[in-house]
Formats: sequence, structure tokens, C-alpha cells
Amino acid sequence: MKLIPTASQTVGPFFSIGLAHMHQDSTKINSANAQTITGTVVDGDGRPIPDCVLEFSTASSFARVPTSVEGEYSVNVEAETTLCEVLLFMRGLLKPVYTQVYLCDAAKARDAITSKLVPQDRIGTLIAQPGIAAKQFVWNVNMQGDDETVFFDY
Amino acid sequence: MTTPIEGREGRKKTQPPYLFPGYVSTQKRGPLKPLILLPENSSSLFRPVFGRDSVRPTDADLTRQHAGEPLGERIIVSGKVVDDDGHPVRGALIELWQANAAGRYHHHLDTHAAPLDPNFTGCGRLLTDAQGAYSFVSIKPGAYPWKNHENAWRPAHIHFSLFGAGILSRLVTQMYFPGDPLFARDPIFNSIPDEAARTRLISTFDWQTTKPEFALGYRFDIVLRGSKSTPMETDHP
Repeated sequence: MKLIPTASQTVGPFFSIGLAHMHQDSTKINSANAQTITGTVVDGDGRPIPDCVLEFSTASSFARVPTSVEGEYSVNVEAETTLCEVLLFMRGLLKPVYTQVYLCDAAKARDAITSKLVPQDRIGTLIAQPGIAAKQFVWNVNMQGDDETVFFDY
Repeated sequence: MTTPIEGREGRKKTQPPYLFPGYVSTQKRGPLKPLILLPENSSSLFRPVFGRDSVRPTDADLTRQHAGEPLGERIIVSGKVVDDDGHPVRGALIELWQANAAGRYHHHLDTHAAPLDPNFTGCGRLLTDAQGAYSFVSIKPGAYPWKNHENAWRPAHIHFSLFGAGILSRLVTQMYFPGDPLFARDPIFNSIPDEAARTRLISTFDWQTTKPEFALGYRFDIVLRGSKSTPMETDHP
């Protein structure tokens, strides 16, 4: 007999009171050993979402970052990382959305097991684009719209 | 708590949806395209999330974080965190945040015209013990208005964030207080379709943990998804 898991509720707009202590401190990251992902989280009207918090998990690390007033985030992950599991929490989400981001060339990402579940025309939303410098990536999250990011049911 | 639940169909009743018209902010933020079903045994779901942090004893007493004591009704909230097999989740990090007794958050974006309390931040964190139990001291938060609809008020609540074994067990929720007259009109509370599941977010008043001449006790038990409990605290790096 399985117990019923406790219901989720929104983080609301003031989550930083409770969650900020684990926001990633990028000044403590040795950039030689890190890759940086930056991006903007936007709503169905294309407006940036300033009250979102993202959690990136890999096999061996965890990083939590909030968005800025412009809806932008920046996170450092370990240099070898090719796939992050990502949860996004925000006001207006009664439960988190779960997605993934690939930090490798597009052909490799398209070969990855999970992405085979995803329609070809939406796979691109899970692949970070190379940034202006080495080890930098850009990955935007669209909550809705033609380019809505792929979110997983789990 | 022992009613059987059947996978995704069951969760549609016991968990809120992404789009809930009564909660206006969901309309432009909840996904509209179909979610991609991950296989139940997908390894991604069992990858650990490392929500670990050093926790000091004062982090579990929200009334002792400043020079003076906060105003309000002192409370002791305790409970047990178990996985969906009923096994205790040990060493789970719980993060808490809440409004003060007047219904005001210690946050620059909270513009409610209620007083801030210089002796209350409303931030706490703690780890569950070897039995999955937790307990913290705080003050009862006040109800507060929000702009979702005409004369909208949130029932008093405490935000909980929990890390279990992996993605599946990551939970953010809100604990409510028994008998709140605001439940009936709160879209966030009522976004959970199943009445029993909704009711389980309401703590119960508890004489056992009520301390004479000190504080009222409330009990709030939590069930996390996933059956592999988190490693013992001693395994933490």
C-alpha cells in the first residue's frame, strides 16, 4: 500500500526569504572548472519572469539560482557536465516544472535517450546554445508559446 | 493517508494542475503544450538532488534569530517525513519561510501595509532526525491580502521546501492552520482537486506538543514521492 504524497503548493513571490541561503555563490566558483549557463525565463506574453528560482542537478552537483528583475539567471555547473535536470519554481506555478538542458553538440543531444521521447521540432528547446566564449552557454526557458520549452511529466 | 493511489491518474486528483483559472498567475506561466511522459523507471528521476546545507540549532527557532522576541502567538510545529512506502526520510533538509504575525513578509516586494517586525525574519531550516521527525519553534503567521481577485486574502500558512532522495521527492508546499475561515475562497488551497489531499495540508492542533506556559503545538506530517530514502546524515560530504 502506497501512501499519497503531500500536495504541492506554489513557492509564491517571497521564496528568497527561505531559499536564498542556498543560492549559488558564483564568486566561490573556480571558473577554470566550470561551465556557465545564462538565459531568460519568459511567460506566455514573452515577458521576463523576475520571481523564478531554478534548480540544476547533475549526477554529482546541485545549484540553485533565482532570476533577476529582468528574468535572467546565470548558473555555474561542473566542466564535464553534458546534461542537467532542471526544476523551475515560481509564483503562478502550483507545482514545479521539470525539464532538462543538454550542454553538448546538438547531434549528440538528439541521440540522447530522453530526447528520443521528444518531438523533433521541440528538441531544440532542451539544447543550450554555445555562448560568446568557451564553456559558456545560453539557454532560455519559455513557459508557453510556439517555442514553449519541453517539460516532462513525472 | 493509506488510500491507494494509481500513478498519473491519481496524481491529477491529489496534486494541483499547472493551469487553474482561479489563480490568475497560472494563466501565462503554466505550460500549455502536452508534457512529455518520462518512463517511470527513467534514470533521471532517481538521480539524487543535493539539497544539503549546514544547519545550526538556531535555524530551527525562528523566535531566537534577533535581539528581541517577535510579536505573535508562539507555536511549535512538528511532524514526520516519510516516503510513499511509509519509511522515514532521514536527514532531509527542510527549508521554511513565512509572514510575521501581522501578515507581512520580510521582503522588499511585500507592500502590504502591515508592520514589519524587527525581531522576525521568517526564515528557518532543519534536518529530519533518524526517525524522519522534525520540530521547530516560530510564531503563527498572519493572513494577508493579495491582488489575485477582489478582496483576496491568503489563509495563514508556512512555506515548506523539502529534499528527499531525488527529483521525484523534491517538494515545495504550504502548511495551513485548522479552522481558517479563508480556506473556502483561496484558489491556491483549492487548486488541489481531492478534498482529502487538500485537508492534509492543514496542520492539526496537538496537546502532546503544546508546552505549558510556552507555546501551542501543531502537527504536520509529510509524505514524499519515491521510495528510496535519503542517505543517513553521516553519509553527507
